[in-house]
Amino acid sequence: MTQFFKTHPKKAWLALFLLVVGLALILFTAHDQFLYRQPIGRVLTVKETSRHKRTDEFKNVDYQMTQKLTVKVMNGRYKGKIVQVHNRYSASGALDQHYRVGQEGFLSQINHDRHGYSASLNGLKRDTILVFLLWLALSALILLLGSAGARAALSVVLNFGLILGAISVNLRLQASHVVLIFSLLAVIFTIVTLLLVFGANLQSLLAMVATLLSTFVSLGICLVVMALTNQKGIYYESMQYVTQNPRTLFIAEILLGSLGAVMDESSDVVATVFELKRVDQRAGFKKLFKAGMQVGKSVMGPLINVLLLIFFASTFTCALLYLKNGNSWGYTFDMSMCLGMVQSLAAGIGIVINVPLISTLIAYVLKGSDESVND
Amino acid sequence: MSTINVLGLVLLVLMLIVGGRQGWLSFLSLLVNFGLFFLALILVDFHVPPLAVTLGLSVCILAVTIFMGTNDLEVARAAFFAAFVIFICLLSLVLVVEHFAQVPGFANEDSGELEGMSVLIGINYAKVATMVTLLSVLGAIAEAAMAIATGVFAMMRSDATQSITSLLNGGFTIGQQIIGTTLNTLFFGFFGGLLALLVWFVGLDYSLGTIINNRIFVAELITVLISFIGVVLTVPSATLLCVYHFHKHLDKHEEKQ
Repeated sequence: MTQFFKTHPKKAWLALFLLVVGLALILFTAHDQFLYRQPIGRVLTVKETSRHKRTDEFKNVDYQMTQKLTVKVMNGRYKGKIVQVHNRYSASGALDQHYRVGQEGFLSQINHDRHGYSASLNGLKRDTILVFLLWLALSALILLLGSAGARAALSVVLNFGLILGAISVNLRLQASHVVLIFSLLAVIFTIVTLLLVFGANLQSLLAMVATLLSTFVSLGICLVVMALTNQKGIYYESMQYVTQNPRTLFIAEILLGSLGAVMDESSDVVATVFELKRVDQRAGFKKLFKAGMQVGKSVMGPLINVLLLIFFASTFTCALLYLKNGNSWGYTFDMSMCLGMVQSLAAGIGIVINVPLISTLIAYVLKGSDESVND
Repeated sequence: MSTINVLGLVLLVLMLIVGGRQGWLSFLSLLVNFGLFFLALILVDFHVPPLAVTLGLSVCILAVTIFMGTNDLEVARAAFFAAFVIFICLLSLVLVVEHFAQVPGFANEDSGELEGMSVLIGINYAKVATMVTLLSVLGAIAEAAMAIATGVFAMMRSDATQSITSLLNGGFTIGQQIIGTTLNTLFFGFFGGLLALLVWFVGLDYSLGTIINNRIFVAELITVLISFIGVVLTVPSATLLCVYHFHKHLDKHEEKQ
């Protein structure tokens, strides 16, 4: 340990600093009840009062339990009071949950009668574990990958802020220009991310142009196919959490979903072809184009797989519920997976189209600069 | 023909034109992964323990993604082992996090969709949540492991006498190059699908306190952060495993001579 401090003083101090900040943050969020307006209670004792076997009409066997909890209110008007809570939960826990001693959750309907205080608990306080994981991810990024890791984290935070901003603009315009807003957002995203990751240079500019071109071309192909097939097999009613026109929102999701992957691919191709040009100044259009295609070909498969797994995993819980409710495989697919499927296919098309697009673009630009040098 | 079939056909044709044999293999790996995913669903539906299914099928998905994604067997082998090691680390991290966060299943925001359905299905949703998180992380760690392994093997082949320190530094340099875009791939991949939920939150004026304790949002954020951590940890683990494989290979070579 002291050895490490001597050989890498900067890194060791940084690690120590991150550790202290992390501990402080976790301690703080464990005691931040005063920041909340909703009353928060800590579970003091737990007693299981009943346990029933339940069988539904599809012959699924489950158990339903009732817990009697004593909970201490941690903030607000009732701070310090002890309340009784009855909590009903199931063994599968799809919508409910059991509570353990020491956990904290949000209280509602606090009542006072001659037996004392009673309330109901709905939902755990999860900020501490979230902050812990956030801290772990950031520390790993910064300690292992240095400033590149920090910049990557910054770009993600910025992009998250931009999404929220775009959503409030979208709501202020009463969802009348969803596609336009999110198209603009895609352009801003691409510029911000590539500037942060690559810096302001020719490489980023080329990657930006190719990324946007492929994303919009793939969206175009997708829309044409949808129109030609009359959107057969796409069930917008299966979209979750919809508060506005699902079709335009879905188009926005398609647009954003593949953006990161296409940027990833563009930057890989650009980096390799620039490196080739640096090593071999005389490389012509054909050689550069071939090198770009080679890289593109090898990264496109894994990238599509990344998105495919993300989109499918998100449909898993829902699909399982449909199956267990006696629905057929076909209906389950339509209701829970078809939109994810369309999204992954659209993303895949964007990723594949991008390969020849960026290769041609970069080979053309670099070939041109070479000739001007030779002249 | 349905839209999905036509889009799939378009993707297949494009992949064949652009990638040739490699494109065909990539398309095949998509199909196989889709099949494996369906198999996971069937197995859990038949009450096979979700964690056992996760472990078994994750190994298959990693193998398919990596071995069908590159022609270089040495690179693929090192990448596969690196990805598997990281997968096991993430599995334990996810189990710990899910124990504290308890974010399985559905939330009040889903109630519209759940109307008329029985949620008492007798399968532990906490375990399903763990499974979902791990399945969605697999592609990302496979891709990162392949990128690092390809780079490190190229370095070792060009100069077999490099010290482990310089190879490690090389691995970290590659990691620094890919991290920015990889994190954004994951970010957009996840939040592209979450747009509707975010519109809901902003539209209904959820307070920050409500959002960061919300069951669905926390579940998604945990998945995103776990995949970030997985990708970052893949950098050193893939580099070390490549060096190990390469040296073992060299030693054998020398013994023969």
